[in-house]
Amino acid sequence: MDSSLAAEQQRILASNWGGGKSPFGTSWSKFMMWIFIISDALTFAAFLIAYGFMRSISPEWPKQTQVFNMVLITFMTFVLISSSAVMAMAVGAARAANPKLAFRFLMLTIVGGLMFLGCQAFEWSHLIEEGARLTHNPWGVPQFSASFFVITGFHGFHVLSGVTILLIVAIRTAMGKYSADQVENAGLYWHFVDVVWVFVFAFYYLL
Amino acid sequence: MAEHEEHAVSYKLYFKTWVWLLVLTALALGLGYAPINERLKAFLLVCTTLAKILVIASIFMHLRYERMNLVLLTFVPLILAIILFSFTFPETLGTATHVLRVR
Repeated sequence: MDSSLAAEQQRILASNWGGGKSPFGTSWSKFMMWIFIISDALTFAAFLIAYGFMRSISPEWPKQTQVFNMVLITFMTFVLISSSAVMAMAVGAARAANPKLAFRFLMLTIVGGLMFLGCQAFEWSHLIEEGARLTHNPWGVPQFSASFFVITGFHGFHVLSGVTILLIVAIRTAMGKYSADQVENAGLYWHFVDVVWVFVFAFYYLL
Repeated sequence: MAEHEEHAVSYKLYFKTWVWLLVLTALALGLGYAPINERLKAFLLVCTTLAKILVIASIFMHLRYERMNLVLLTFVPLILAIILFSFTFPETLGTATHVLRVR
């Protein structure tokens, strides 16, 4: 009886869930990045659900195509998706132990991020000039501009943080202090920022 | 680490993925302007968005090379969002007592 119990315990400890092996098969830093991304995704999920709620209880919602410059928004989406693709190539180059190429791809990604931020600053200043505030706006219910500033503001701040992280990783890569894991973790975060924008683009601007 | 050598560098795959993402974005943009039923539009937009995030997560974020444990973990926000939505959305139907007023 006792020996079979000990054997069972041995089996559990040796299994994936026993803690004996890495249950997720990743490095700790990558796993932590995933945990961070999941918790961050919950924040954005809450924002978007709250936005959906506010929109459904509004008697009317302004037509986005009349308020926003859709050409600019589409360009921003294009830039972010392209930078995400380039980032994936940077991770590939880092994995293939080619720091020079990885650095170039990283810099391209950073340029994409900065372009996105520039477009967003332009969009924000334009709308603020037209009279949009957190509390009111000229087009309809106050929740329209409130959700706009909160959601795109939060996302924009994530882009800014992403650019900062990528700059640090790029500098470290140029100095030869890089590790492929580091580049990959920064890449995961950058793709996540892209994923959030996909949601914002579809549900805030197009729906 | 051996896993990583298997999927060495696949720039071609990333390029293809990029093209597909642009196609899906164009599709979503077309849907945004399409003169169709709002509900159908919402449903189709959810579909294109889910397709896009699946492509980004599986290829750009390498989820298809990860263990199932990690893949399942990433579904947590989506499931919780669906729960949150199904709890809050019915509140907006019928005789809502909290309808917003314009200014």
